[in-house]
Amino acid sequence: MASPGDDEIFEKLSQKTDPAELKKQEDELNARLYAQQQKAQERVAELIVENTTLPVTISSVHILHANRTRKSFLQRVVNPLLSANNEEPYTLEEALREVGVAADKLNRFGIFKSPISVFIDRPDPTNPSSSPTDIDVYLSAVERGTYTIKTGTEAGHSEADAYVNAEFRNLFGGAETLNAHASLGTRTRSAYSLSASTPILSNPDFKFQLNGFASSTLKSWASHEEVLRGGNSILSYLTKNGHKHEFSYSGIWRQVTGLTQNASPTVIADAGDSFKSSLTHTWTNDRRDYALLPSKGYVMKTVSELAGVGPLRGDVSFFKTQAESQIALPFGDTGITFTAGLRGGILYPLASGGSRIPQQSRINDRFQLGGPNDVRGFRISGLGPHDGSDAVGGDVFAAGGASLLFPIPRVRKETPLRLQAFVNGGRLVSLQKQDKEGQMDSAAVKDSMKKAIRSLTDGLPSCAAGLGLVYAHPIARFEINFSLPLVARHDEATRKGLSFGVGIEFM
Amino acid sequence: MSTAPNPPEGSRDARDEPGRQQQPPRGSIFAVPAPIKRLFDKFPLRTYPANELPLRAPRHRDENVLYVFTTDEGVRNGAPSFNPSCLKWQTYLKFSGIQFRTEASSNHASPSGALPFLLPAVTTGDTTKAVPRVPSAKLQRWCMSNSPSSIEEPGDLRYEAYLSLLDHRIRRAWLYTVYLSPHNFPSLAEPLYILPTSSSAFVRLTTAHTLRRAAEAELLKFSAVINVERLYKDADEAFDALEMLLGQNTWFFGAERPGLFDASVFAYSHLLLDEGLGKGWVDTRLRDMVIRRTGLVMHRERILREYFQASPSSYELSGEQDA
Repeated sequence: MASPGDDEIFEKLSQKTDPAELKKQEDELNARLYAQQQKAQERVAELIVENTTLPVTISSVHILHANRTRKSFLQRVVNPLLSANNEEPYTLEEALREVGVAADKLNRFGIFKSPISVFIDRPDPTNPSSSPTDIDVYLSAVERGTYTIKTGTEAGHSEADAYVNAEFRNLFGGAETLNAHASLGTRTRSAYSLSASTPILSNPDFKFQLNGFASSTLKSWASHEEVLRGGNSILSYLTKNGHKHEFSYSGIWRQVTGLTQNASPTVIADAGDSFKSSLTHTWTNDRRDYALLPSKGYVMKTVSELAGVGPLRGDVSFFKTQAESQIALPFGDTGITFTAGLRGGILYPLASGGSRIPQQSRINDRFQLGGPNDVRGFRISGLGPHDGSDAVGGDVFAAGGASLLFPIPRVRKETPLRLQAFVNGGRLVSLQKQDKEGQMDSAAVKDSMKKAIRSLTDGLPSCAAGLGLVYAHPIARFEINFSLPLVARHDEATRKGLSFGVGIEFM
Repeated sequence: MSTAPNPPEGSRDARDEPGRQQQPPRGSIFAVPAPIKRLFDKFPLRTYPANELPLRAPRHRDENVLYVFTTDEGVRNGAPSFNPSCLKWQTYLKFSGIQFRTEASSNHASPSGALPFLLPAVTTGDTTKAVPRVPSAKLQRWCMSNSPSSIEEPGDLRYEAYLSLLDHRIRRAWLYTVYLSPHNFPSLAEPLYILPTSSSAFVRLTTAHTLRRAAEAELLKFSAVINVERLYKDADEAFDALEMLLGQNTWFFGAERPGLFDASVFAYSHLLLDEGLGKGWVDTRLRDMVIRRTGLVMHRERILREYFQASPSSYELSGEQDA
């Protein structure tokens, strides 16, 4: 009973769809959608561009989802946005920029999930209090969880450890953080710390931090173990152009203990307790593009510490300052980089309350130099004065290094893997008595400091040169080098052949 | 022991002086081939004389140094240490005719965790070589092999029994009277052991607490509770026995010259009889026990006169800053 018409339908149905045809249709659809989207975006952009000078007033800012954060805390961040608080009216462009700044600020407290999305809406025109230029800003700031507990293992600065870290965020609704850390390791045998930090005046760049810590570190290069117990308070400030300043007070009880059988008389003499009470200022200006393997930029850092003087009291008194810098210069777009670093420091003995005789430095406070992270080709603390096999440290040092880093052939230069050729060296010296008699007074110390600084350039600096491979993993930089010492002092511990370095800071 | 904290390496140490190079010969695959070794030995190309040590580093390495509890003043005039076990060995070294000087130190410096210990003089002229420290447990043997006139200890059967009186009964009473007696703690333990550790109140408080807990734990090893009357009674009996043992003799066990036992008795009798110890005795119960025994008092006077010429009381602390 089939009619011819039916046959036609069957034929049509049984006919296979042409895949090429289908693809063409799909492409057309996609192109249409894309064009539409493009147009919509262009329209938005056009709208914004056309209206960049459009005067707007921000009548209200709503922060959504931030339920556990104090209102007063958020108000400090958003109040500057409100037009009621600004004399000059906004253009749309300015308003958007300011909103972006506020969102970025919120982001940097570290208590919200990023990104923080921004919506802009016009208020209900029927509301008699609204004016035609008004806009409402909505920031969607979803809070992160109240705590994170991390456990893991770390390898760095020639040691390995296992740690537990617990962080409690936004404790009182003002981005206050409590951080507890415990670790056990090969060199830092144990370390415990508890720190509480809070932004000041709702400013993520202005922070106050309180820390308490206890640790025990094996200092095998000087045959002892150093046990620290103490606390510090830090006020840190990041300026708009990237200078970071930190002011801190610390009080630390140090114990030089657990001396090994062959500890030298110098270490024996410094064994025991000492309490350091000091004020420290740290300044950092890091303009490198990538700290672990910079291809351009520079970093400058100074640390100055004043201990034991006047009301500070404590068992040690000195002024200690050190500076370090690094510069990286790219050779065009070849992936070849030249980096150079320079470091130096002095430890100036001072007289503590009551006494007029400056206190000579202890092993806890003196500088150490040498090892894969500063002067390669020497053992850890291999430079400077040694008593027997103990690196006892020095009061004045200067060190420098230069490296040329090449991408590896057939490996893309974006891979953070480089060949390096380096030469580095330094001097670490201690203050010396000018004459045999008695204790040194302030004038004698000054004189001896001048002589020590001059003696840095006596002869060639202890130095080494070598070749190696550098890999910048996101958490640390790894280096394997072959090096040979060129110049050394008789007591210094050099290292010939291969050596391995892990760390965050390299010279 | 090796000073290298570094991971295993296929390289060599540049310290090529004999005695400092303590690496054992390496296994086959890590052995450096001879031509490469010869090349490596050329480096560093230039070696300058050693760096000078920092100012606090002790300079005189050609003397035997006995590290004890004492003050800077005590170091200068060779005064007796204020700690019984330090004083015992300080006295014994003097009996043995060993030349040494004392140095103020703390338990942190000692290989055994307790003072005294001796750092022998460097005789070879090579000051870069580490000289192992001699802990108190090995001091007697060290003295015998290094003394020009080593002391024979009496072979008396009662020797050990009497020694245990000192090491247990008298020591326990001493621990109580110095560290736990509420009257003596501020006048003895505090100025002698706590104030010199640090000028920080926090460190002092913690040290004081640790010291008292340690003394308490030591006493609780022998009895479940600290019975003060019993401690003093035991000590009194012990002093009685020692007084009887000494009798009319010059030295204990009728020896020709003083030995370790005399040093052990002197270590307690001198400190108990020294009225200038710390800030002076307040609770004098233990001290009075010795004052009553004329034999022990004369024994102490004899040693002090013959071996410590300096004034018997030189314990004034020369200011906290010196500590």
